[in-house]
Amino acid sequence: MSAALPHHLTSLQLRDIAMTEPALKLEQVEKSFDKVRAVDKVSLEVNTGEFFSLLGPSGSGKTTLLRIIAGLETPGNGTVHIGGRDVTRLPPYARGIGMVFQDFLLFPHKIVADNIIFPLKMQRLPEDKQKEQLNWILSLVRMEGYEDRYPHQLSGGQKQRVALARGLVSRPDILLLDEPLANLDLELRKEMEVEMRRFQAELDIPFIYVTHNQEEALTLSSRMAVMHNGKFEQVGAKLDLYNNPKTRFVAAFLGSPNYIQGQIKRMEGTIAILDWRGLDLRIPAPANATSGDKIDYFLKHERILIQSLRESEPAKGENRFEGTLRDIIFKGQHSAYFVVLENGEELVVNAATEMPSLKIRHAVEVGWLPEAGDAFLKEED
Amino acid sequence: MVSFWKLRQSPNFRFAMLTLPGALFLLIFLVLPLISILIFSFWRTESYQLIADWNIENYKTILGQKTYLTFMWRSLVMAVSVSLVCLIYAYPVAYLVAKRGGRYRLILVLLTAAPFFTGIILRVTAMQQILGPIGLLNMALQTFGFEPIQILMYSNVASAIGLVYLWIPFMVLAIYLSLLNFNFELLEVAYVNGAKPWRAFLEITWPLNWIGTAIGIVLVFIPTFAAFVTPRFLGGVNGALYGNILEHQFGATGTWALGSAMGVVLFFICLIFIMIIWRTINLQRSGYTGEEF
Repeated sequence: MSAALPHHLTSLQLRDIAMTEPALKLEQVEKSFDKVRAVDKVSLEVNTGEFFSLLGPSGSGKTTLLRIIAGLETPGNGTVHIGGRDVTRLPPYARGIGMVFQDFLLFPHKIVADNIIFPLKMQRLPEDKQKEQLNWILSLVRMEGYEDRYPHQLSGGQKQRVALARGLVSRPDILLLDEPLANLDLELRKEMEVEMRRFQAELDIPFIYVTHNQEEALTLSSRMAVMHNGKFEQVGAKLDLYNNPKTRFVAAFLGSPNYIQGQIKRMEGTIAILDWRGLDLRIPAPANATSGDKIDYFLKHERILIQSLRESEPAKGENRFEGTLRDIIFKGQHSAYFVVLENGEELVVNAATEMPSLKIRHAVEVGWLPEAGDAFLKEED
Repeated sequence: MVSFWKLRQSPNFRFAMLTLPGALFLLIFLVLPLISILIFSFWRTESYQLIADWNIENYKTILGQKTYLTFMWRSLVMAVSVSLVCLIYAYPVAYLVAKRGGRYRLILVLLTAAPFFTGIILRVTAMQQILGPIGLLNMALQTFGFEPIQILMYSNVASAIGLVYLWIPFMVLAIYLSLLNFNFELLEVAYVNGAKPWRAFLEITWPLNWIGTAIGIVLVFIPTFAAFVTPRFLGGVNGALYGNILEHQFGATGTWALGSAMGVVLFFICLIFIMIIWRTINLQRSGYTGEEF
């Protein structure tokens, strides 16, 4: 812990810990705009100390859900509990939350210090306490010495730190973040990702983090939900979602995998043999699958072995194909290898950069075990 | 020709050429008349003739005699109250149109200027038809056996109502234009951070739109301070303001020199008012970033 906590807030925090209620509880939350279901019967519990991400493509309803939690939208149905208190009908200013917005949205006419203490001023905290809190949060976000600057005199990263400081200064029951890194360049984003994990860990305030960027969600969160068409596709620990996607959407979305389509030729117990444009492919059989079913199979880039011809023997049950290396894209520690197979399909393989035996336009071998990918019955669109 | 081309490239020359038309216009139609008024104000009138006899008697009269000071005070009170009423009335209108007007907001704003489709005399006369002793309001009251409302008949209140009606479009427009560039999301930020709506208005909306509001106030204050048509039609015998007395000098009494001096005083009062308003404007505190203008 880098900075001492003011006493009265420590006690607030103790009160929160004493309560067994989850920090945030959503029950059957619904919201429609005109006839579009933006949020469709969403239930969720987030506990104190969690870094929870809401991940989804644009239009999936994640921002609407966040705005419902903030009180900026009223749900058509369902309830919102924050810290065990039903806030469904409460206006945003009575909810005791902090929020960080995509465009930072600092008050342009107020200096950094006045921006940060704004929530404390609204709570009518005595001025010496405000000052104390301000100094504490400034040291946490490492913005000491910038108190008297106006927002337009700050860089993007500094604005973001001030926005975070404003969201955290009153030690809210919960901090909502709406794509806070979307407007920062890559280097700054990486830096702020590290910083945000640090703030979250030090303050022990639950973060609800909305993003369309899966890398961010996977880097930052402890648990996450993938949202699609207003519904939660899957909720759970991030590694669980990444390794064991439960729905076709999650499998297709996380890790942007290779997308393989085919038809089941025959079943061999838990394994199905797929006709993949002329190649026989062994995949784990989805529940209720029978021969003749159309299948979507998603295979993450890093789960494929790539080597020169006959460098090693295939393991038992492994899929092994020959192909031609079309291109290599250098990405630093790893590279993307583009392999065209005999059936004309192309696979992307992520592997170590240092592979001198692999040459462009030469023959290569790719291989993977059936369980490396995730198979789903094709959905009729 | 080469040198002319070079001249055209010079930033100073380009600046001069671009500002020339405007500068000429201001010189001929504003500065020259002002200078002539200033000169006349130090002269003397006798039998409707201006005599170049330099003196400061006119200013002594205006600033020394109680009558003139009374009219000045009346006009000041009138200008302040009319500006205030316009402000209180116009802000919600402009706010509603800017925030909720959607694709109709331009039309809605132009509608507030609909009275401009006719001339000022016609508009003031129309007000007379409503507020006067044989006007719509009091006639109706009398028809139903009520007493007519005395205060609406040829009084300063009637003038004030007329002036508010005349100048409110300026206030609405100035505030509306300011709110167009206002990021309403900042209010959501304020709410989430614990500000009740009225507090968010005072902390965010008001200071960030103060320039527009100040322009609106100036646009209402100055014509009200100089008003003479409206008080003459609606104010009656006892409703005369500074503008009426000023106009009188150029008409009935023919004392041009005194009138000029009154004009100069009016000009300086307005100038002082603008300076006071200008002092309240801090570009940084208004969210000026140095990029948008």
